[in-house]
Amino acid sequence: MTGISAKPWPKMTSREEFQFLAELVMKCSTADHKLVTLHDQDGGTTRFANNQVIQNVSSRRGVVTVTVAFGARQGTATTTDFTAGSLRETVKRAEAIARVSPEDPEYLPPVGAQAFAACPTSRSETLKAGPTVRLEYANEAIGQCRMENMSAAGIVSSSRASVGVAAGTGLLAFEERTEARFSITVQSGDVTGWASAAHRSIDRLKVQERTLSAIHKATLGAEPQELPPGRYRVILEPAAVAGLWSWIIWMLDAKSYLKGTSPFAGKLKKRILDKRLSLENCPGHADLLGVGFTAEGLPSTASQWIHQGVLQQLAYDRFTARAQQITPVPTIEAPRLSIEGSSAGSLAQLIKSTDRAILVTNFWYLRTVNPTDLTLTGMTRDGTFLVEKGEIVSAVKNFRFHESPLRAFQYVESCTAPREAVTSETGKMLVPAMVLPEFHFSSVTRF
Amino acid sequence: MSAPSWDDFADLALKRLAASGAEYGDIRIVHSTTQTIRGEDRRIASIRDNDDVGFGVRVLYHGAWGFAASSILSLEEVPRVTDLAVEIARGSASVAIDKVRLAAEPVHRDRITTAVRIDPLTVPLGQKADLLLATMESLQAQSGVVRSTAELWARRDRKLFASTEGARLEFDLIASSGDCTATALHDGQFASRSFNTPQLRRGYELIEEADFLGQAPRVAREAVEKVHAPAVDAGAYDLVLDPEHLSLTIHESCGHPSELDRALGYEANYAGTSFLTTDNLGTFRYGSSHVNLVADNTEPETLAATGYDDDGVACQKWNIVREGLFVGYCTNREVAPKIGEARSRGSNRADSWGAVPIVRIANIGLEPGRATVDQLIAEVKRGIYIEGHGSYSIDQRRYNFQFGGDAFWLIENGRRTHMLRDVIYHGITPEFWNSCDGVADRSHRRRYGFITCGKGQPGQSGWMTHAASHARFRNIQVIRGEGRS
Repeated sequence: MTGISAKPWPKMTSREEFQFLAELVMKCSTADHKLVTLHDQDGGTTRFANNQVIQNVSSRRGVVTVTVAFGARQGTATTTDFTAGSLRETVKRAEAIARVSPEDPEYLPPVGAQAFAACPTSRSETLKAGPTVRLEYANEAIGQCRMENMSAAGIVSSSRASVGVAAGTGLLAFEERTEARFSITVQSGDVTGWASAAHRSIDRLKVQERTLSAIHKATLGAEPQELPPGRYRVILEPAAVAGLWSWIIWMLDAKSYLKGTSPFAGKLKKRILDKRLSLENCPGHADLLGVGFTAEGLPSTASQWIHQGVLQQLAYDRFTARAQQITPVPTIEAPRLSIEGSSAGSLAQLIKSTDRAILVTNFWYLRTVNPTDLTLTGMTRDGTFLVEKGEIVSAVKNFRFHESPLRAFQYVESCTAPREAVTSETGKMLVPAMVLPEFHFSSVTRF
Repeated sequence: MSAPSWDDFADLALKRLAASGAEYGDIRIVHSTTQTIRGEDRRIASIRDNDDVGFGVRVLYHGAWGFAASSILSLEEVPRVTDLAVEIARGSASVAIDKVRLAAEPVHRDRITTAVRIDPLTVPLGQKADLLLATMESLQAQSGVVRSTAELWARRDRKLFASTEGARLEFDLIASSGDCTATALHDGQFASRSFNTPQLRRGYELIEEADFLGQAPRVAREAVEKVHAPAVDAGAYDLVLDPEHLSLTIHESCGHPSELDRALGYEANYAGTSFLTTDNLGTFRYGSSHVNLVADNTEPETLAATGYDDDGVACQKWNIVREGLFVGYCTNREVAPKIGEARSRGSNRADSWGAVPIVRIANIGLEPGRATVDQLIAEVKRGIYIEGHGSYSIDQRRYNFQFGGDAFWLIENGRRTHMLRDVIYHGITPEFWNSCDGVADRSHRRRYGFITCGKGQPGQSGWMTHAASHARFRNIQVIRGEGRS
């Protein structure tokens, strides 16, 4: 294979350079408040399908965003051009917007200087990775599938980014972030198997292990039988659990809660799920994609959102938090879901201890059906199996489900310890595989 | 010395590509300006003006692709990025087995401009903000409405496409849209009703013609009526679907399966594949004889009518489904030869300078029939009339779908009666389209656009318009949109 030896990218924006850009913006704006954010990213993706590379791309995009306010009138403008002339012009555009904007009753000036805990957001092996490394990993996955006479489709991607937030209040936040992703769908005729990974370190993608896992799924998936729709006991693998829990997390918005347009309305400090379930934000966890600060420059903090099944925390924007006289906790970007008590050592043990259930590898195209009770729909995908007497006895045709996670997770029969999970529809999470006693599959598709 | 022009940058890249040994290369330089004004609960929550400039170089070297892009548009960066694209393509070529062969296309040199009456980016921001505030005020004046949103969006894309084959195309494109939503609360239940302009390549005249202030009281009333409405009883119903609702049904159940890259497995790891496999072309009974789905990237004002796609292929009009029979795909220059077609359909588009173009759904629309909407409803004994978009989900081969809507009315004995809520219908795509037994005439035809169609890895947003008149579908399974139905 040819090594790719093009000259390295122009270096990423450093902390000092960001500070210089921010100060330039502060100096040339006459607004009462100024907030500057930076997102400068260099990354690429090698994409493959039918055991061939179909796309091989690399892209560098730097964006500076300027928000200014005169009193409570604010405006925002962005630019991809970091020259002094362009930044001055961007400030002018933001100011022109702010001058004609109506006063925003919810406007708050930028936060002041903050203390940020060090967050493990950057790994040197990912910083160094480029098209050659991505192509090598893609080839490894393709080669394994070729040997099994199967067809691989997937991606290997890596990126690095400089991210900063600064304000005239003394706020200055900056960090370097890296991220690598691998996902693969293995096809054997009409059958598919899937695996996926995301990590700050490209060395932690476990390409070989995950490719073999996807191949194994595709092997098991041959000749699926059609089962009738209905309510089944399910074994949800971590990716499937993550798909459902992403919607729980997205709906934890405090403003909707207070307006009564949230599925959690009236349930703060009340038990909403199995009393052994807890959800926390772990921004410093090495296997999650936590960040040191939010887009507004607030420090990311470790926080408990659900504790022993009781809803403890909502996602507060700064205005809503001030109105409620509490400290804003805006997001869960590094979720870890755990369950108290003994757990199975592995997914295999969960299967072995289950008399009859549907084993779900992943869900796809999840959408809300009813936001009042958080009823969702979606399809099973890339590995759905019937388990009987502790063994996978056959693949089954994919189901559509119609179920609320707020009902489904009322009681968890058994589970593993939290595992890494990421899908095409979710951020990365640490969640257990779980056995739920009842899950509503409403229809069946043709494969 | 004057600053280099886009033509200078393009010439610089093409000269290097010509010397690289690549069989094909192109450069796209794009400057996108996007203005978004977002209102929430009687306040303007944000006004944002995004300016995004950059370029992308695509190279086909010994039958394999490379692509590199940058937001630094300079005389130093263009050659560096061009060389990187070539080297990436060489890396791809080192492992390629099935070499890419591009379908031929005449060399075009042209300039395309969206004709607008009122440039949406020059309308005073204060005027736009006042419209949104007045709209939200009107929505929340209705008793029972507890939340409101209103938004205006406009975008201008200036683009230069130049290829080693000699194509040189300049674009100056504009698109606009607006929407508002009222959310009503009653007895612990909440429900929303929306009004959307279509997203079209039109100026601010689209917003003026939409009459937000005239629409708002109706939208608010219907939000309250919806939250008080009885939940639907599950069972089989005849459905009469409005053009806005059908735009999403067409998009998901016809648009995506007719993308040839999906049918060939390119999207197997993400967006999925297609039940419309290539052996079905020309033989598969997709729908009833009433179903004629036509791709038309030449219709003025529609989102995919950009004159040329990002392969430099001229926009075209062709059949996807003719009298129920599946007869055509959306293609690009790479995949068209794989089904023996000599020319691409011109459906290759990237969502920015930083993304590589991929096959996207064309402006696929349902051709009008001969009925009126009243006639379609009059022939229904027990049915539901559905307007707008709601919940939607479909499997990765586009067989099993489930759709909601924005508003629902019960039809009894040929008459539209009262509103319903929690209506969800599901089915299997070809069974659904084969149950279509009537389409309204051209006077009912409306166009609705999409700018957030997700596909590709890294993900990109596709733009296209789907036109339709109302259509009727018999004996469709409806369930209640709550957990215990």
